[in-house]
Amino acid sequence: MSGRVIVITSGKGGVGKTTTSANIGTALAKAGNKVVLIDTDIGLRNLDLLLGLENRIVYTIVDVVEERCKLKQALVKDKKNPNLSLLAAAQTRDKSAVTQEQLKEICETLKKDNDFILVDCPAGIEQGFQNAIAGASEAIVVTTPEMSAIRDADRIIGLLSAREEIESYKLLLNRVRPNLIATNDMMSVEDVVELLACDLIGIIPEDTGIISSTNKGDPIVNDEKSLAGQAYRNVARRIMGEEVEFLNLEEDKNFFGKIKNFFEKTIKDIKAKI
Amino acid sequence: MSFFTSFYNKVFSFFKPQEVSEDNSVKEVARSRLKLVLMQDRTNLTPKILEQMRGELIDLLSKYVELDKDLLELNFEQEGDQVALMLSIPVIRAKDEKEIEEALKKDALLKGIKLADDDEEEESAESETADDESEDNTADDNNEEESTESVEEENSSEEHNSDNQENTAETV
Ligand SMILES: Nc1ncnc2c1ncn2[C@@H]1O[C@H](COP(=O)(O)OP(=O)(O)OP(=O)(O)O)[C@@H](O)[C@H]1O
Ligand SMILES: [Mg+2]
Repeated sequence: MSGRVIVITSGKGGVGKTTTSANIGTALAKAGNKVVLIDTDIGLRNLDLLLGLENRIVYTIVDVVEERCKLKQALVKDKKNPNLSLLAAAQTRDKSAVTQEQLKEICETLKKDNDFILVDCPAGIEQGFQNAIAGASEAIVVTTPEMSAIRDADRIIGLLSAREEIESYKLLLNRVRPNLIATNDMMSVEDVVELLACDLIGIIPEDTGIISSTNKGDPIVNDEKSLAGQAYRNVARRIMGEEVEFLNLEEDKNFFGKIKNFFEKTIKDIKAKI
Repeated sequence: MSFFTSFYNKVFSFFKPQEVSEDNSVKEVARSRLKLVLMQDRTNLTPKILEQMRGELIDLLSKYVELDKDLLELNFEQEGDQVALMLSIPVIRAKDEKEIEEALKKDALLKGIKLADDDEEEESAESETADDESEDNTADDNNEEESTESVEEENSSEEHNSDNQENTAETV
């Protein structure tokens, strides 16, 4: 088996990288894939909380590279899904505790017996980012439809496109608010895609359910009724190579028409990979 | 549609507005501002350098065609993830052979004296290394080129051209 290593990155902080990692990872595992989530946000670890695994962490990625344990020992299995496991970040160290080579090596090892390795990247474009992308050949760039998030995403896209090892990168637009788009107070999905000139892998609506799911430690993809959960499940299916229509985020016919139009234009670009 | 927005035109009075948007919604403002800022982030070209590029292009093309300088448009356009520089020049008329020859000759003479100037400047400014400094020098040269009329010395223009290219590369 040779798994795919996908880094979830953004540039700007707080736009939803960790939420996205937890949800896509869970959805991919639910669909029958063997998945490892790696939290590379050393010093600011969060992925364990979103998965509800914070009490099960014994070893972290730093313990692995400093050879206090085997890689297998540091993988924490998800409570609900044995296909999913987490390699947690250390909370008491900093980004220099792991090197690019070490991360690459970990990814190479995990590729051998997993379908997907998802790397949750820290914010910024410094060492933490460089480490996180070191072992990846695909990337998902998370942004929100806001000025500074888009600008930072553009920087990230520039850096990713200059990197030979990255074969494919796609955009995930998070916290979309159809009511604001309808009143022209927020840029539309098309606007953001046009500005960034990057193919889309998902559109996730703003959803208060994400806050309660984080509080419960249970990713929203496990909630069959949630729209955001549905949107994330669709992303997972697209990653697996399926062609899935983008969600109708609002009943408003106009908006639906737009999204549908947009979908028809871009679906051709959604290839098997991401 | 031009990659730049009317906002950019107003601020730097460099690009001509192509489609002045009537839409003043928050979304449209955000979109135009971002277009501008992303372009600057992507190219590293400052408005000053763009203005200089525009000036040099006008000088170069004027040797061969009479053009409407005020309507010359220089725009960035995006095709996929590639950014292209689009130049649109309204030509009033093409120059005839004699005029072109004259223009080239005049140009060579001007460059001759400029090269001499450059040599002097290089010597005197050897210790000053700041990038801004060399930018300013180039701008000064342009002004001189416009005002200088009588020229005696003549030098190889080719030699000068390569010098000039090196200069610009450093500046950008
Ligand atoms: N679609 C959404 N709807 C509502 N809230 C969201 C959504 N996506 C993310 N959030 C909230 O935004 C906050 C930041 O999310 P998250 O931690 O996933 O971002 P991040 O990019 O990983 O941040 P950091 O850069 O700090 O690592 C969280 O409180 C999360 O619950
Ligand atoms: Mg995070």
